[in-house]
Amino acid sequence: MEQRDVVIIGGGPAGLAAAVKLKEKEINDILIIERERQLGGILRQCIHDGFGLTRFGETLSGPEYSQRFIDEVETLGIDFITNATVIDLTGDKIVTVATRDGLLQVQAKTVILAMGCRERTRGALAIPGTRPSGIYNAGVAQSYINLFNTMVGKEVIIMGSGDIGLIMARRLTLEGAHVKAVFEVLPYPSGLPRNIEQCLHDYDIPLYLSHSVIEIKGNERIEGVRVAEVGTDLKPIPGTEKDFSCDTLILSVGLIPENELSLAAGAVLDERTKGAFVDENFQTNVPGIFAAGNVLHVHDLVDFVSLEAEALAEGAAQYLKRGYLEACDIPVETDAKIGHVIPQRISGKKNFRMSMRVRKPTGKCRIEVRQGEHLIKSVPLPKALPAEMIQFEVEADQILPNGKIEVSVYEK
Amino acid sequence: MKSRTFVCIVCPNGCTVEVQYEEQEVLAISGNKCKKGAEYVTQEMTDPRRTIATTVPISGAELPLCSVRLTKAIPKKDIFRVMEEIRKVSLEAPVTIGQTVIRNVCGLDSDVIVTKNMKREMNKN
Amino acid sequence: MSAKIDVAIIGGGVVGSAVARELSRFRLNICVLEKELDVCNGVSGRNTGLLHSGILNKKNMLRTECCMEGNKEFEQVAQELDVPFRRCGKLIVGFGEEERGRLEKLYKQGMENGVPGIRMINAAEIKRLDPNVDGEFAIHVPSAGILCPFTYTIALAENAVQNGVKYCFDCEVTGISRNEQGDFSLETKQGKMTARWVINCAGLYAYKISEMLGFGKYQPSRVKGEYEILDKKAGKYLSLPVYPTPNEYGAFDIHVTPTIDGNVLVGPTIEHIGEGIDYAATQSMIEVLEKQGSKMFRYVKRDYYIRNYVGVFPTVEDPETHEEMDFRIETKESVPCAVNVVGINSPGLTSALPIARRVIAKIRQSEALTMNEKFNPVRRGMVKFSQKNEEEKRRLIAQNPDYGEIYCRCECVTKAEVKAAVHNILGVTTVSGIKYRTRATMGRCQGGYCETRLTQLIQQELGKKKEEILLNKPEAYMFTGEVK
Repeated sequence: MEQRDVVIIGGGPAGLAAAVKLKEKEINDILIIERERQLGGILRQCIHDGFGLTRFGETLSGPEYSQRFIDEVETLGIDFITNATVIDLTGDKIVTVATRDGLLQVQAKTVILAMGCRERTRGALAIPGTRPSGIYNAGVAQSYINLFNTMVGKEVIIMGSGDIGLIMARRLTLEGAHVKAVFEVLPYPSGLPRNIEQCLHDYDIPLYLSHSVIEIKGNERIEGVRVAEVGTDLKPIPGTEKDFSCDTLILSVGLIPENELSLAAGAVLDERTKGAFVDENFQTNVPGIFAAGNVLHVHDLVDFVSLEAEALAEGAAQYLKRGYLEACDIPVETDAKIGHVIPQRISGKKNFRMSMRVRKPTGKCRIEVRQGEHLIKSVPLPKALPAEMIQFEVEADQILPNGKIEVSVYEK
Repeated sequence: MKSRTFVCIVCPNGCTVEVQYEEQEVLAISGNKCKKGAEYVTQEMTDPRRTIATTVPISGAELPLCSVRLTKAIPKKDIFRVMEEIRKVSLEAPVTIGQTVIRNVCGLDSDVIVTKNMKREMNKN
Repeated sequence: MSAKIDVAIIGGGVVGSAVARELSRFRLNICVLEKELDVCNGVSGRNTGLLHSGILNKKNMLRTECCMEGNKEFEQVAQELDVPFRRCGKLIVGFGEEERGRLEKLYKQGMENGVPGIRMINAAEIKRLDPNVDGEFAIHVPSAGILCPFTYTIALAENAVQNGVKYCFDCEVTGISRNEQGDFSLETKQGKMTARWVINCAGLYAYKISEMLGFGKYQPSRVKGEYEILDKKAGKYLSLPVYPTPNEYGAFDIHVTPTIDGNVLVGPTIEHIGEGIDYAATQSMIEVLEKQGSKMFRYVKRDYYIRNYVGVFPTVEDPETHEEMDFRIETKESVPCAVNVVGINSPGLTSALPIARRVIAKIRQSEALTMNEKFNPVRRGMVKFSQKNEEEKRRLIAQNPDYGEIYCRCECVTKAEVKAAVHNILGVTTVSGIKYRTRATMGRCQGGYCETRLTQLIQQELGKKKEEILLNKPEAYMFTGEVK
């Protein structure tokens, strides 16, 4: 069996950034495994610009952003295989890969989970109605249109205001489709404000907040949807139903970290993130298996994915050198206003970066990190949106050796 | 004195910026976290501009399309005119990032450039 | 389609395909006329996938007889046709004295029917069979089983085709008359054809064909049932189908059934819809499934939802009693050379081959059939990469590198399998056709990863244009064309 110090599952932004950083730390025996024919992950189809401001200080399209990492991987001579799908991962870190050249098995000392996420589907939401053709997840439509030269439809309704849906509203419009409306069940958009501005407002595409698609119509191709306004309980308000005709329904209703391999290896997932529980080193509960990027928790910006994966590299390199990492026994918990937090466990002996999202839009507020009465950090924010990830550094010298850490939001 | 509110699109922060103005003259700008926000709304008041990203057919590559973008923002009203112009061209693999596809598209002082490296594949035409 | 054929079978569901397969044992020129673009697009593809035991129906009914016969022989059938199947048994659970009374009645019926091995068991025995099932007592029905209705119908159809049967898709029969020779003249969407015999296996539309043939009018009194499909992550917690106690009218509320592929089906709901056909899932029934289903099985949770679907069951009224009619397989003197098969709802899947044999017996009453010496009852299914062990996987990839390319990541379906499905011997070219044959797109991402690959492969392998690619029906186009 082939032996590797590091096997990275996924050659998207997280996997590539982790690989480059590990190599810089003189970890040389790395293998990146990518299931597509090319490295780059989902960025290959994200042709719009707006990537890289944080990481590179300039605005790039998705393919350009990922090429910067691919160039480094190639320059540094990091091994990678493409068109290769990991079909099994064990807790002992044996990675089984299907490739056209055969079934490859690799015994890894560390495994980096960088599989990204998948889109929530119509089926998962159980949207009532028939099951005609013409219903696409936004990311699938994006790949058809931007990679495969395939037009999915002409009269389009978009359900959900996630960023990919907004991006696709503009993209479809530029390619001659008529995007009739975007319906969002929540009273606020799920996507970033600038995408509402430049993808919807610029093209006069109406956004209906607190509205949901309650029925899909059509027996062969989709013919229309029934939409209703929803109350604070998110349930349709009787009497507000309206019918819209369309030949295409695009769903942008959330992303789910793709953790089937993590589960196979015995990693325990957090109900809130749907990703693994990790410590400050991004190590899961399985020693030597690390996770970063969208497989860990869904990010708003790829820049943060890269930065997270780069941070992971430090812990992984240390694990390889020492064979273990500092025990992380201090749990990190949140109040009900915060959707989730990463990491969920820390040692208290090391500075770390905390990531979180709020559940509801909040105006001027501050985020407090405490251990009981002891205030570790207070971060003032002009606003906090569920669409935006909040990140800040927490310094180890402020952390007491014992006692759980609690993160709370206080509105001003 | 009148006022208008903008969402700045320069970076992911998406600041809500308020502008106070009289006629064409900007009197005060607030809410922006950085000076790019002020530049953006000043531009947006008089001559809103956007950059666009799209694709161009390519032959001889693994995929049938190559992604492209503009090097500089163009007036918002010219977006569809530029899309039509881009629609007229095609590429042949190999191409590399930054390669110019259309120089000075529609005379708007912005170039269309390739944003994806695409190799020449065997058995593709 | 001008040549005269011996037998036209109307309907390519499980019954029509079973009749086609059984008839191909004889030297006959046989054609199956199917109005959809694939087999099992009606009732046969929208049910619970259960091999019924015969406990649920009264003695002396044709459906009970067929069901018991079909159940008993299924090991052999599954082996011949290479259809995955598991005789996992079934539990009908109850709580309280009232339910006990009703269950005892059902148990008695099962004993009268001769259902093998049934037992009343207590709570402790239930837990031993499956720790995730709750009940104070239950009937354990060891002869019940689970199978994939798509695979089974496709297997019957493929075996029929191997033995010389022809399938015509998109071929709705719109009119039936007799020519001067007394043969049937069938008007179809694909043109006219002449047949000596007509077998009506039209499922939901059997009542229409029955009238066209001259067997008279049967009034549809259909039942709509909604289902929810759960992720395989929930599937590992359920080892056998679990039904609640039937109500006082003998109807069953929501039950949970593991599928042969490892998912769980929740449902069906029951809604009487008369003559209509309605495949739209409704908010109210989705809520019922969640509420009632979670009582039966605690993993009925939104996190595990993959997809929902609706079945419409082709119940017809008995013309005399106006009650739900038994299976009916009939001939009529005034309608020579025709067999009418109506009222085939549950347990139609289990009963398909027994029904087919009874159809053939009817034909043989008026015509001697010559054996087809070349008939081969054995059909081999597709290789399923995901079910192979490591060594077999290595061998497969070495033989054909397409096995090393995973197209559907959720169900671990390879390019080789998808390619084989695209070139299936029934000549089906839809995306759903690939799905039924390989399980690609049936996983939790619902095609998010593999659908672009499937549609590309259809284009490449069959030379189709983008706008010609169909999901499952003639107007169910996937794409409007190229972007550029």
